[in-house]
Amino acid sequence: MKKQNYMSDLLIFLKNDCRMLFNLRFAAREQSVFKAVVIGVFAAAILAGLFFLFLDAFRFLSSLGGVGVLLIQHLFGLFFLGLGIMLVLSNIITAYAVFFRAEDVPFLLLQPVSRGTIAVHKYLESALLSSWAFFFIMVPFVSAFAWHQKLPLIFAFWTVLFSIPFVVFCSGIGVILVVLAVRFMPRLRGWVWFSAFFLCLLAFGFYDAFKGTGYKSDDVSFLLAGLVPGIKLASFPLWPSWWVSEGIMALVRERWDRGALLFCVLIANLLFVAMAVEFIGDRFFYGAWERVVSAGERAGLRRAGYGGLSAFTAGFLPPEYRAIILKDIRTLLRDPVQMIQGLLFFGLLGIYFFNLRNLQYHLLAPVWRNLISFLNLFSLATIMCSFCSRFVFPQISLEGHAFWIIGLSPTGMGRVLKIKFMLAVFIMLMISGTLMTISALMLSVPSYVLLITILVAVAVSFALCGLALGLGAVFMDLEQTNPVAIISGFGGTFNLVLSLVYIMAAIIPFGFICHEYILGGISRAWFAAGIAAASVWLAIITTLTAALPLIAGRRSLVSREY
Amino acid sequence: MIEIENLSKNFGAIQAVRGLNVKVKPGELFCFLGPNGAGKTTTIKMACGLLRPSAGNIRVGGFDVMREPAKVREIIGYIPDTPYLYDRLTPVEFYEFIGDLYGIPRRQVAAELEHSFEIFDLGQYAACLIKDLSHGYRQRLIYAAAFLHNPQVLFIDEPFIGLDPYTIRLIHNLLKRKAGENMTIFLTSHILALIEKLADRIGIIVDGRLTAVGTLEELRAQSLVQGSLEDVFLRLTRPESKEMQNEK
Repeated sequence: MKKQNYMSDLLIFLKNDCRMLFNLRFAAREQSVFKAVVIGVFAAAILAGLFFLFLDAFRFLSSLGGVGVLLIQHLFGLFFLGLGIMLVLSNIITAYAVFFRAEDVPFLLLQPVSRGTIAVHKYLESALLSSWAFFFIMVPFVSAFAWHQKLPLIFAFWTVLFSIPFVVFCSGIGVILVVLAVRFMPRLRGWVWFSAFFLCLLAFGFYDAFKGTGYKSDDVSFLLAGLVPGIKLASFPLWPSWWVSEGIMALVRERWDRGALLFCVLIANLLFVAMAVEFIGDRFFYGAWERVVSAGERAGLRRAGYGGLSAFTAGFLPPEYRAIILKDIRTLLRDPVQMIQGLLFFGLLGIYFFNLRNLQYHLLAPVWRNLISFLNLFSLATIMCSFCSRFVFPQISLEGHAFWIIGLSPTGMGRVLKIKFMLAVFIMLMISGTLMTISALMLSVPSYVLLITILVAVAVSFALCGLALGLGAVFMDLEQTNPVAIISGFGGTFNLVLSLVYIMAAIIPFGFICHEYILGGISRAWFAAGIAAASVWLAIITTLTAALPLIAGRRSLVSREY
Repeated sequence: MIEIENLSKNFGAIQAVRGLNVKVKPGELFCFLGPNGAGKTTTIKMACGLLRPSAGNIRVGGFDVMREPAKVREIIGYIPDTPYLYDRLTPVEFYEFIGDLYGIPRRQVAAELEHSFEIFDLGQYAACLIKDLSHGYRQRLIYAAAFLHNPQVLFIDEPFIGLDPYTIRLIHNLLKRKAGENMTIFLTSHILALIEKLADRIGIIVDGRLTAVGTLEELRAQSLVQGSLEDVFLRLTRPESKEMQNEK
């Protein structure tokens, strides 16, 4: 009989993971060069953009003198605190997928290894999956900080040395929370908990925004005052983020004893968290997983809910439209992973918009509010762009697998494209219209900025949905059933690039004209003429971006052999 | 070797298995038959320890599945109907991975690999990624890996699904041989003609309840049908269905 050995079992898993990572070279060879180049260029552009943004912020604070210089030192700690919280939150989502939805879990549970070892293996997988974004943000911030403070090159080494255990530590907290929550929380569907969480955050933001403030000061004081509570929190010496920021700075200043002490504190806590994961995994992981797979469906309640929706849509939609729309809505709502992803896409943006007053942005000068309003529009548009790439683009390919149902029915694939376009646009209009209205109200921008941003959001909704669905039909992939694999091909990348180009072409003219008008650079008459011209430009590019791919997609679907 | 007592499993309001009692002797090839949704896969998953029973007990090789899961996992093998494989490993790497998990020395794994890959004709694909293998070859790899630690009890859910006649014959003969070597095999299948030749005893489950169990002769006596296993099965599972009987 095999002797249980936790470490050697874990090493077997890690060796297997390394082999799979090494074998990724085969998959890399199958990827298109165009896609790799586009991703590389965009990643480099984002890194460079973030670097200069952070550098600009440091220079600005430096220009303020005493307080600003002091703040720069504390910003380092605040940055790690913020990233730590983000890591815990992102791990809650990643760990749920890795622990309870991954296909390999039943296989692993049947192997002669302890459940604690499986939990630690899954914990490391979750940490790896959720940490790339951490490093993506950390590299430009830390580089800008080092550049501005003229720190030696060894600073980069100390940062990496502290960051890796910090990432794994934060991931462990997320994992522990998820496993315990799944094991012991009363049974409700995941997205109900998630929606409740978001609603609480929104309610808090709303309350905070309108509770009133007597705070009046200049713009710089707003910025500094906004940072103070965070800095106070980040300076608490029991936070792991404090050990990281202080430890790195101690080593840079060659205070070896202090640096080593803080590193040892971090490692000791990391090992404790890893032990806790193993302990909790041993005792609760199987029970939690079993609870997820044995959860009963509340079919009766659900039938009643969807029955109402079915009856409602029957009043004004033709049967084939109703059939496809109801199928799509049901499919989306019954997939908690997709629901959570969808909520994440727009929920975080909604929380941010609701908190604009909390951040005192409505008291800023008109030129700043206008700028923030258009930046918000740009954020919304890029998230819509990601949403369309992730959810709308693969729709036709996924439907293509069911061509024997829909394609051979009197509805036909051509009409499916039209119905899906209508549904996607409806959903996008609801989301974009609501979010832009919230943003404008929270910022107290002039009514013309409100109207312009909503107009652009509406146009973006039409264009992105048309582009994603049309190209999705042209580059239909019947080999794949996994939406992520569908969007990672040439068609998905092409759609993403065109979408990004479109949103820049749509937003920049309006933003520039409004900015110039508020600064007093152009007269009212020139402003009106400029907005009219930009509107014509928007109408033309929106029509072309939405209609051409849809027409090409329809032709492709009708003439295609399945 | 396998003792199932008063086993029940609920999924919310749905009762998938209801008070099941089965005993399987060492070296026996026991086949579990039943219509779709009868509770076959759920029973196998409970017997492996993947699902927790709502009521009842299961002992495999003398170990209680819920109380001593680690000991049970060491003596069993399980081949699900849609098995998980690491797509980005090669068959050789996957085989070695399983060997490591069961603590089998590398030298022994290498010897078994050569033998097993020859039996299952996997040698030509040894260096391919698993994701590039056809369904049949993936199944062959799973069987090769499942036999590596020489389990005392093997659970198989739908062993012949989607396989060509050659592979079906290969697996049929292999299971027969392994049972002859005292391996206890508990399997489910819908290919009744094969089960008729393969199984030592057959259990029939309908709506989570065991309605009949025994050798083919005993089932014929219980059903009062002197035909094939298919006739016996149809009579025992759908006695009221005239349509099914008329089709014959």
